[in-house]
Amino acid sequence: MSAMPFAGVHVLDFTWFAVGPVTTKYLADYGADVVRIESAARPDGLRLAPPWTDAQPGIDRSQFFASFNTSKRGITLDMNQPRAREIFLRMLPWADVVTESFTPKTLRNWELDYDRMRAIKPDIILLSTCMQGQTGPHRDYPGFGNLMAALSGFYHVSGYSEAEPCPPYGAYTDFIAPRFAVCALIAALDYRRRTGQGQYIDLAQYEASLHNLAPMLIDQAATGRVLGPVGNRSERYAPHGAYRCTDEDGHERWIAIAVADDDEWRALLGVIGSPPAAAEFATMAGRMRRHAAVDEMIGARVRGRGAEDLTVALQAAGVAAYPVQNCMDLHRDENLAAFGFWHWLDHPEMGPSPYEGLEHRMSRTPGDLRRPAPKIGQHTDEVLGEILHLDAAEIDELRRDKVLY
Amino acid sequence: MLDLSDDKGALCGKLFADMGADVIKIEPPGGCLTRRIPPFLEDQPGPDRGLYFLAYEAGKRSVTLNLESPAGRALLGELAARADFIVESFPLGRMEALGLGYDAIAKINPRLIYASVTPFGDTGPGRDYKTADIVTWAAGGAMYLMGEPGQPPIQMSLPQAGLHAGGEAAVASMIAHYARGADGLGQHIVVNMQACIVWTLMNEQAMPILHGDYLRRSGVFTGAIGGRRKTVYQCADGHLSFLLAGGAYLNSTNAVIAWMKEEGAAPAWLTREGGLKSLTPSGFMAASAEDYAELDRAEEAVQSFFLTKTKKELWANILKRRLFGAPVANAADIAADPQLHARDYFVTVEHAGLGRTLTMPGAFAKLSATPVGPQGAAPQLGKHNRAVYGDLLGRSEQQIAELRASGAI
Repeated sequence: MSAMPFAGVHVLDFTWFAVGPVTTKYLADYGADVVRIESAARPDGLRLAPPWTDAQPGIDRSQFFASFNTSKRGITLDMNQPRAREIFLRMLPWADVVTESFTPKTLRNWELDYDRMRAIKPDIILLSTCMQGQTGPHRDYPGFGNLMAALSGFYHVSGYSEAEPCPPYGAYTDFIAPRFAVCALIAALDYRRRTGQGQYIDLAQYEASLHNLAPMLIDQAATGRVLGPVGNRSERYAPHGAYRCTDEDGHERWIAIAVADDDEWRALLGVIGSPPAAAEFATMAGRMRRHAAVDEMIGARVRGRGAEDLTVALQAAGVAAYPVQNCMDLHRDENLAAFGFWHWLDHPEMGPSPYEGLEHRMSRTPGDLRRPAPKIGQHTDEVLGEILHLDAAEIDELRRDKVLY
Repeated sequence: MLDLSDDKGALCGKLFADMGADVIKIEPPGGCLTRRIPPFLEDQPGPDRGLYFLAYEAGKRSVTLNLESPAGRALLGELAARADFIVESFPLGRMEALGLGYDAIAKINPRLIYASVTPFGDTGPGRDYKTADIVTWAAGGAMYLMGEPGQPPIQMSLPQAGLHAGGEAAVASMIAHYARGADGLGQHIVVNMQACIVWTLMNEQAMPILHGDYLRRSGVFTGAIGGRRKTVYQCADGHLSFLLAGGAYLNSTNAVIAWMKEEGAAPAWLTREGGLKSLTPSGFMAASAEDYAELDRAEEAVQSFFLTKTKKELWANILKRRLFGAPVANAADIAADPQLHARDYFVTVEHAGLGRTLTMPGAFAKLSATPVGPQGAAPQLGKHNRAVYGDLLGRSEQQIAELRASGAI
């Protein structure tokens, strides 16, 4: 097997929460030496967030943090201390990439910017990612991906009607921006390898995430129309929705079904049975017009069926369908299992823990979750010894002075 | 990049086009599927009017090519011999059946990176399953968490699953590209759409294992187990995303209470010394029934206050007072956002077929040495047949006419 693609690429990673860490995780799972620089004085918020091992909080017990920080090493450095900043600048020549995801004032407070870093390491690549970008009147806006999902339009196109927004779960845009950030970072690494030049990347979570609503924005600019929520309806499929099946163990079970044409409609009827009323719904246009009646008919006919068996029967007949899965279902899902999606890594404090795996597989240079997430400061001695050749006595002193903290 | 994908991979080619790659959309007779995805400009269907098409095929070139015809397949082989990347999202086995699977292409071009986007992977019992955006949304666990408890779980109203998969195909192709820089060899990538949606769940997958239970959909309330917080408030002219909580949200929570006090809109109990009892340090932990009663009352008071404010007033105060909040913006709000204009975000491109300009989202990031961003409008069907088959593959006018006559292009 070939070496991992980013073997030998060194990253000093100040990012926290989700967008930055998920971005650098892609590099780490493919061989980059990513060193998370954290401080117990202001820990990564995900370290304080559930789920925790045994449901007990602790700075090294969050799976939320762990899942987003595999294959990385971790050191502590309280950058609010001048001596910590000196140590960072001494480490900088080792790095190929520096990443950070604070509001812009944090780096200013540390008297750090791209030019200062470039003076020390001319070909450094610096990625800054915050909510709204490094320039403009709203650049210092603090927030999380749930707020950005509202601000960038996702809440508006989620729900049963405009009067009743019903947002996507969680910090949705946190899971859009990283892929754009990784493309930008690898483009910069590739350019640097070809030309010897580094560069500065300013990625606003806002601007990257809006690409997932580009059709709505193009439409509004061209025609003034403002698209809103449509519940489970579609202009492309009918029927199209979620239908309740037989409850299992006292829990609701639903199936999602999408019918793309009249052949698939007949196939659906072949599986669920065809009441006389179905004749009225033979054409796509007819089903679109009377979607509520179609929903009612399907709902009545699948209410007594098991979601899993019905999925198998519908898919065998050529109709797109799948159970509406909860998080327990995901762990039992045969397709995710066959893909090797789930990983159990043995974390020094958390023990064997469930990690989401890669969403793709590569034939020749596969990525891997090479190790569990670091405990806070787990690799401080190792990394400072390796990069700066600090000895144990020097490290002890810095730790005592809360520089390494 | 040769882009043979549909709505499961279109964003991959779009990202590459934005980074300056020459992306050629290979379209079957009648045009690629994304041309037929509604809604359309002014609700008028037409091959150049689909909003999804205009958004995610922008900046690509278009050729027509019939994979059912042997001459068409031979042309694709010639293009593949010159290409750096292929992205496709056909049903599993289809490209192999045409003699255009990864192994066959790698024989003529070992440098090539070949990404296959699949709904459910290529190994499980569902490897041949059909999907649609709503079905992937359900399979990946996102749908279960979205919707009101008494109503069906819901999708997002604009398709998302294919965009996560297309973005993932772009990332994996870039990683493979970096690997190729070391040794000149390409490889095959399989993207799993269902897994892409699992990654949007903010690690909820671990909840049932570590905390013994899983989340249910809870409408506008955040569903952290043991914690129930309202996340969407009504205001005078719309809605606002806001959360009363401790932890990282504590300063913001106290700031909104201070604002209410300034305006004489805070009940006395809300502003008493020491703040709300119920705001736990972490902001995530389960609180007592008493704490919840207090939070419910606080949410009611804040809701009444927000009803007296417009989205614009709220947004100005969010920025001024550093509140963790955001208006529920629609397309018109976003188009008018001064922040995006200050950063020259939107880009206007000329669409020859429509005879008009279109304004679209611009650079996904600002790169100082190698700027990225939209390279033009989505192409008319077959617009680049002559450039690609003539200039690139060296076919004469006569030969191109024959290919057209035979139905190969």
